[in-house]
Amino acid sequence: MAAITHDGILKAGRYRDLTIGDGEADVARSLHQFMLRLRLCEEALAREYHPADEMRCPVHFCVGQEAVPAALSLLLREDDYLFSHHRSHGYYLAKHAPMNALFAELYGKQTGANGGLAGSQDISYPDKRFYSGAILAGATAISAGSALALKLGGMNGVAVAGFGESAADEGIFWESVNYAAVAKLPVVFICENNNFSVFSPQLKRTLLDNISQRVAAFGMPQASIFGNDALLVHRTLREAIARARKGDGPTFIEAYTYRWSGHYGPASDDLVGYRREEDLEAWKRNCPLVLLEQAMTGRGLLVERDKAQMQRQFEAEISECFSFAKSSPFPGKIDWEGLNLARTTPEADRLLVEVEQQEFDAHQESTQAKGY
Amino acid sequence: MQARQANAVAEISYAEALRQGLQQAMSLSPSVMVLGQLVDYAPGVFGSTTGLVEEFGPQRVRDFPVSESAMTAIGIGAAVAGMRPVLVHHRLDFMLYSMDAIVNWLSLWRFKSNGKSSVPVTIRAIVGRGWGQGPQHSKSLQAWFAHVPGIKVAMPATAFDAKGLLLESIFGEDPVLMIEQRSLFGLKDRVPSIPYRVRFGKAVVRREGTDMTFVAAGAMVPFSLRVATQLGEEGISAEVIDLRTVSPLDTDSIIQSVKKTRRVVVFDPAWVSFGVAAEVIARVAERQGRNLLADPVRICHPDSHTPMSSALEAAYYPDEKAVIGRLRSLVRRSA
Repeated sequence: MAAITHDGILKAGRYRDLTIGDGEADVARSLHQFMLRLRLCEEALAREYHPADEMRCPVHFCVGQEAVPAALSLLLREDDYLFSHHRSHGYYLAKHAPMNALFAELYGKQTGANGGLAGSQDISYPDKRFYSGAILAGATAISAGSALALKLGGMNGVAVAGFGESAADEGIFWESVNYAAVAKLPVVFICENNNFSVFSPQLKRTLLDNISQRVAAFGMPQASIFGNDALLVHRTLREAIARARKGDGPTFIEAYTYRWSGHYGPASDDLVGYRREEDLEAWKRNCPLVLLEQAMTGRGLLVERDKAQMQRQFEAEISECFSFAKSSPFPGKIDWEGLNLARTTPEADRLLVEVEQQEFDAHQESTQAKGY
Repeated sequence: MQARQANAVAEISYAEALRQGLQQAMSLSPSVMVLGQLVDYAPGVFGSTTGLVEEFGPQRVRDFPVSESAMTAIGIGAAVAGMRPVLVHHRLDFMLYSMDAIVNWLSLWRFKSNGKSSVPVTIRAIVGRGWGQGPQHSKSLQAWFAHVPGIKVAMPATAFDAKGLLLESIFGEDPVLMIEQRSLFGLKDRVPSIPYRVRFGKAVVRREGTDMTFVAAGAMVPFSLRVATQLGEEGISAEVIDLRTVSPLDTDSIIQSVKKTRRVVVFDPAWVSFGVAAEVIARVAERQGRNLLADPVRICHPDSHTPMSSALEAAYYPDEKAVIGRLRSLVRRSA
């Protein structure tokens, strides 16, 4: 089978292969619910972002890229780890972290997921084992480390790293792929290939655009798929996560997708002229939410009335999240040292002995003076 | 735990003290693991990891590919998930591929999680000196790392401190860089057999004196002690402070000594400019500047990369006689 490419997807036109298999009705409903909520959340944030300018941090919107987080939201356990790139909101919600703390974080408030210290591109929710960051390939190696810990702990947990195709431009990505493969770590690398590093297309940065073929050379199972087919993404990730849980090692998945907004912020950056308007329109016709809705409607799994009700429910939730964020206080008293270093050492207190050091210090002078 | 007399004490080398510290840490907690190139071979990174793989197995003592960047990030991920990894680099120069992992991830992990997630990663980095180590085997760079918030930097000068600071690093909650100078590995010292702790940010007075304060780190501690001994024979009394950790830096101990001696000399085994010595002198100037009897002195390496030739090495590293001459005049001029 020929490898998937961005050009190939555009040439193929309208995607017609989304199928909801027998026994997948509930999965389809859950994926749809997640994607609708995420889409409404992002659109609401985008509307509010400018000109109000109360969210004073860079935000990378994930409209058009909802399928991967949606699939993860169904497949990850509470004790699994999820690490994401800076386009983080979908992943944050995929780990079932609270939406109001996401909003409050964007507003820089004390009630934010990280008390206003991190913002959109560095947000985390440690209680749910979700972390993100803005250095592209960072998540890949860190997730491999958590996978190593899970493997040593013997609790069949998995770690998942979500990142963009530009992460593969960085050397640490390949070091991580290599180590995950050789150490057979329970990690899943899910690459959202949206073709652009800000403005720069993949084929300007690398000779080949199919990363999964390169990953295969490291001896890691891999798959390259159309990433706006939420069911296909779900099936592929389900298999990879199951493989990791069984102790059969890592998987790399490359999900081809496209971002609708500019690189950051809600506005278009298409004036730069880095992508063709018709490409964006073609990808919008392959919207992950619409593709799923059409298939569901075709199978009688979605009726307009139910969708409208769901939408009202999510809109009410989003409105509450805005109220929560806006009415929350800004962070108060600041303890710079305490923010950066731990104030206590419980494990050292428990395990280590305090010795009377003077006795040893007194002997240092004569012993050490002999040295080099 | 309560302070207590350390009953069993043996005279062992710095390398053996590190090995003992690692062995005890791994016995005390299954969360401790060691990652590094060749950590599971008999030579054991200059003797500091020998025997660990036999006792704890290859899952916890892991020979790592030459992927320093990923190694550090994997240490971070393991720590996020509850482990206390110890990373070992034969030379500090080799870990520089992992600067992104250290500065962009490790140092700020706790900060950006608002204190909810900590990453107790210990990085052991060995610094070479002599026998033509040259510019890619002898860099120390403590100032770089001390400059970054969220990372502690230890520079143990004795076997006692090497073991105690290593254990404190492993079982503390913050990331630590332990800079270990290879030239210290053979030094012997009395070391308790129990797992004990040496606190960060607590310097120690290695020698008491009244005329000048020496502030020294790492291998410059024995050097400055020799200088102090020889000056003592001439009737010049130097107090020697071993910083133990350069971050946090024990400003109070330095100030207390300088108040008494009113002269300060900093011995830092690194390039002279923009370094730990400059920071120490800045802190002294901020609190005791007007009380000093003499201009502060930095005894460091020249602002040059390390040469290979033994003749040039001799010129590069501080020379005892030259330093003694310089410091002698410091007291006489200002007396």
